[in-house]
Amino acid sequence: MEAMERQIRLTVNGQEHELTIRDNTLLLWLLRDDLKLVGTREGCGTGVCGACTVLLDGRPVNSCLTLAAQAAGHHVTTIEGLATNGRLHPVQEAYIEERGFQCAFCTSGFIMMTKALLDEIPNPSEEEVREYLSENICRCAGYPDILRAVQNASRKLAARGR
Amino acid sequence: MRPFKLLDPRSLDEACQMLDRYGEDVKLMSGGTAILILLRQRVFSKPYFINLKAVPGLDGIRDEPGTGLRIGALATLRAVETSPIVRQRAPLITETFRLVANVRVRNSGTLGGNLSHGDYRLDPPAPLLVLGAKAVAVSSRGRNTYELKEFFRGLFETALQPDEILTEVVVPDAPPKAGTAYFKYTSLSETDWPCLGVAALVTPSDGGGTCGELRVAVTSVAERPMLLEHLGPLARGKRLTERLLEELGDAAAERVDPIADARGSEWYKKEMVRVFVRRAVREAARRAGLAAG
Ligand SMILES: Cc1cc2nc3c(=O)[nH]c(=O)nc-3n(C[C@H](O)[C@H](O)[C@H](O)COP(=O)(O)OP(=O)(O)OC[C@H]3O[C@@H](n4cnc5c(N)ncnc54)[C@H](O)[C@@H]3O)c2cc1C
Ligand code: FES
Ligand code: FES
Repeated sequence: MEAMERQIRLTVNGQEHELTIRDNTLLLWLLRDDLKLVGTREGCGTGVCGACTVLLDGRPVNSCLTLAAQAAGHHVTTIEGLATNGRLHPVQEAYIEERGFQCAFCTSGFIMMTKALLDEIPNPSEEEVREYLSENICRCAGYPDILRAVQNASRKLAARGR
Repeated sequence: MRPFKLLDPRSLDEACQMLDRYGEDVKLMSGGTAILILLRQRVFSKPYFINLKAVPGLDGIRDEPGTGLRIGALATLRAVETSPIVRQRAPLITETFRLVANVRVRNSGTLGGNLSHGDYRLDPPAPLLVLGAKAVAVSSRGRNTYELKEFFRGLFETALQPDEILTEVVVPDAPPKAGTAYFKYTSLSETDWPCLGVAALVTPSDGGGTCGELRVAVTSVAERPMLLEHLGPLARGKRLTERLLEELGDAAAERVDPIADARGSEWYKKEMVRVFVRRAVREAARRAGLAAG
């Protein structure tokens, strides 16, 4: 059998990496184990909880169901990539202000989804927020706080002129 | 997950040759959302996978006058859902795809992967069946076009041959003035896989007031998505009264042979078919400008 490894180039949070990976490596494992970006979490491992959400070329995907080999050549953004010059991203600030988390296991997923939502729809209705985030699961903070965090983030971004 | 080799074909031809060469040892991989779950759970493995995402040009969505919508198999569910051309030509598809899984799965999962998986719990087959869609497959032997109603054969079984790659789904224009609707019913969490899904298409008869054409498809109930072709003749030329809607629901329920699963028993699913066929036809009729009842 041919080699089950390959060299890939992957841009993560703006930085290009050259990596040798096994073909069956999931993007989630690559981020956490090889790049030590452990803000991306594994909850269900089957696509339903959203804890593993990262942006691939700006679109949210489940890193638990994405082959690193298929992400090669693309841009990945993780929770670690949101802050700039030591300043949290407005979406992150909004989650803190509205106490949109308790244990925070789900939070990086929610924040990445919120970022993607607001990039797509800057001023979403409550219905649109609910629909977009409908399959992100939080087991402790409570969804009303999360909803408020999204609305707060939308206002912050508008005030900042995005 | 067991190790495997991911093959990156540069063209469709090359992908077909890989299927021929590796035979039983190889499987296609598009978005990977269905297959990676099986691999992770170790219920399935292969030494080789063919990365269809490496083949350029399979994800186009376009409208071809006289033919209809041509949607590449590698188009993601989200690309189909948000395509202005799809919304304009086939709003039923937009309405349905919005309800599939979640945004993240729709961003990775492809139309081809969805249909080829042959899972019985899928939403997209229902609207595509009522719209009379065709699936185009390619192999080193040539090109093959399947009517979608003949495509789904059984549990995880489609008409695709092991050496075939689904490349495109062709959706003819709906008849003029058609009203369409899709109802997805989930019995567990709201965003779950469907307990059942019903798509309906209704056209008004020439004189108006009565039903011209009626097409209904149900999915997630039985071991394959089905077009219920016996319903059309029951409604043709008639007013869609509540009584007739009830008859249609009953006739649909009679024909399906439900699979009991975590989302409902056989009995329950039959009852829900009765209810949701009624609702879907009523709504499609309303959208076609026919007052039901
Ligand atoms: C959490 C979750 C929730 C879901 N909920 C729903 C739901 O509510 N409704 C619903 O309809 N679906 C649902 N799905 C299923 C989802 O729609 C499918 O997983 C997805 O569409 C599969 O596409 P893919 O490109 O990822 O396929 P892959 O995983 O890449 O492939 C799936 C299968 O199709 C074969 N295949 C892939 N492409 C081709 C091709 N072009 N030609 C021939 N064979 C091919 C593969 O060999 C494999 O057997 C859900 C999935 C997940 C993970
Ligand atoms: S860990 Fe990926 S969706 Fe739950
Ligand atoms: S904050 Fe604990 S799971 Fe969401």
